[in-house]
Amino acid sequence: MPSIDDVTDAPDELSDDRADELLEEADLVQDMMGEVCPYPQVEAKKGLQQLESGDLLVQETDHVPCTENVPKAVGDDAEAKVWRSGDATYRIYLRKQ
Amino acid sequence: MVSTLLVAAVVGIALGAFLQKGRFCFVNAFRDFFAYKDSRVTKGVLAATLLTMVFWGIAYQFGYYQGFWTPRWGLTGLVGGFIFGVGMTYAGGCASGTLYRAGEGYLQFWLTLLFMGVGYAGFTVAFPTLESTYFDALTFGEGVSLFAYSSLPAGLLALLVSGAALLVYATLTGRSSVGAALGERADAAEFRPAALAAPAVGLRQFADGTRAYFAGLARAWRNPIESSKQPWDPRTAALGITAAAVLWFTQVSIVGVTGPEARWTGYLLSQVGVDAGSFEYWGSVLFQGQGVGVTVDMVMIAFVIVGAFLAALWSGDFSVRVPKRRRLPNAVFGGLAMGAGSRLAPGCNIGNIYSGIAELSVHSFIAAVGIVAGVYVMTHWIYREVGCAI
Repeated sequence: MPSIDDVTDAPDELSDDRADELLEEADLVQDMMGEVCPYPQVEAKKGLQQLESGDLLVQETDHVPCTENVPKAVGDDAEAKVWRSGDATYRIYLRKQ
Repeated sequence: MVSTLLVAAVVGIALGAFLQKGRFCFVNAFRDFFAYKDSRVTKGVLAATLLTMVFWGIAYQFGYYQGFWTPRWGLTGLVGGFIFGVGMTYAGGCASGTLYRAGEGYLQFWLTLLFMGVGYAGFTVAFPTLESTYFDALTFGEGVSLFAYSSLPAGLLALLVSGAALLVYATLTGRSSVGAALGERADAAEFRPAALAAPAVGLRQFADGTRAYFAGLARAWRNPIESSKQPWDPRTAALGITAAAVLWFTQVSIVGVTGPEARWTGYLLSQVGVDAGSFEYWGSVLFQGQGVGVTVDMVMIAFVIVGAFLAALWSGDFSVRVPKRRRLPNAVFGGLAMGAGSRLAPGCNIGNIYSGIAELSVHSFIAAVGIVAGVYVMTHWIYREVGCAI
């Protein structure tokens, strides 16, 4: 379905089930609720530095811009996916490359 | 008066909604560019400023405008702008960003607003001293807009400036892609003709990007309700903000945020018994001796919060967000630096980067340099453990 996401360059979205499954296998979960940019970006980069290749970092956030800015900030260091709850909370899944 | 209030409500709600939907954040625009060369929001800010410049230039040329805001110029813009830039980066939101995030339900940014108010009040108390020791010492000339100074028609001047900015942008983007295509083995002799081709390559990329953007916009229109709930491209926000700013310019004034906020501070303090009018800065400067009351620009920026609230509610992005305790210093010191810095400059990111450059005010060019320098320094400090790209 055509969406304005075509021009905003957002990461792929996860389904509710897949998001819950992945959360259980996460190697590091960062609670970023209430935090605003740029701290989630900085913490994501720091978190990825501690992890091994293939490990999964999950950030829980209620700051919408993070869903784009955090994946952008980590760049090629991680593959990013996003889950939107629909009520202003989000999870960002970063798989270290 | 009723029609002016209606314009204030329409412009404020539109600005709030477009800022929120486009995540139009001046901190993001510069910080993320310095930190990891992400220029999406930077492009939106540039597009909004240049588009507004063209439309304001034309409106000014034909006499459809209410007035410029051109403070006297000097090093005050550099010093105050730097303090403001440091403050907004630390707070995590600029003057406009703080307003729309307050509307989205961030309690942290209501606290930032409160401490911006403390900054305005502190500045007001210190103003008589600052006037002789700071403003007189660091101010060199009368404020002027190049629109009024130049003998060129204002509309043409705005188009020339925007065209020059576009050419610089095209050269930079063109050069980086030409350089990448040639690879690292290209020697200097090969690179020279390619460098000349850079503006053409960049302009073609710009044309392709613009075409792709409008194609995306046309696709989004097929499902208007669903698309309206998605986040928007910063360029879409730029178009909407420009439309609201043109309406405001023809009916009231240029768009400003911290000036009206400083008036709000004086007004709210007068409501709890402080004789705000007796302070020189509130009485004769901000309210111009007309009594401390609610002015139309104060109404407009209050509606920015309302517009952001409505847009966030519509998108499912509204919630009351409670900050972590470790973030309270950001709101307190960031707010204080923004409040005081915006008065010392004077002007915030909207007054100086957006409106000030759009009206070609000499003071605002200096203040914009100060603000961006402040963001640069603070970004490097926040990113000190993980490193900045620029």
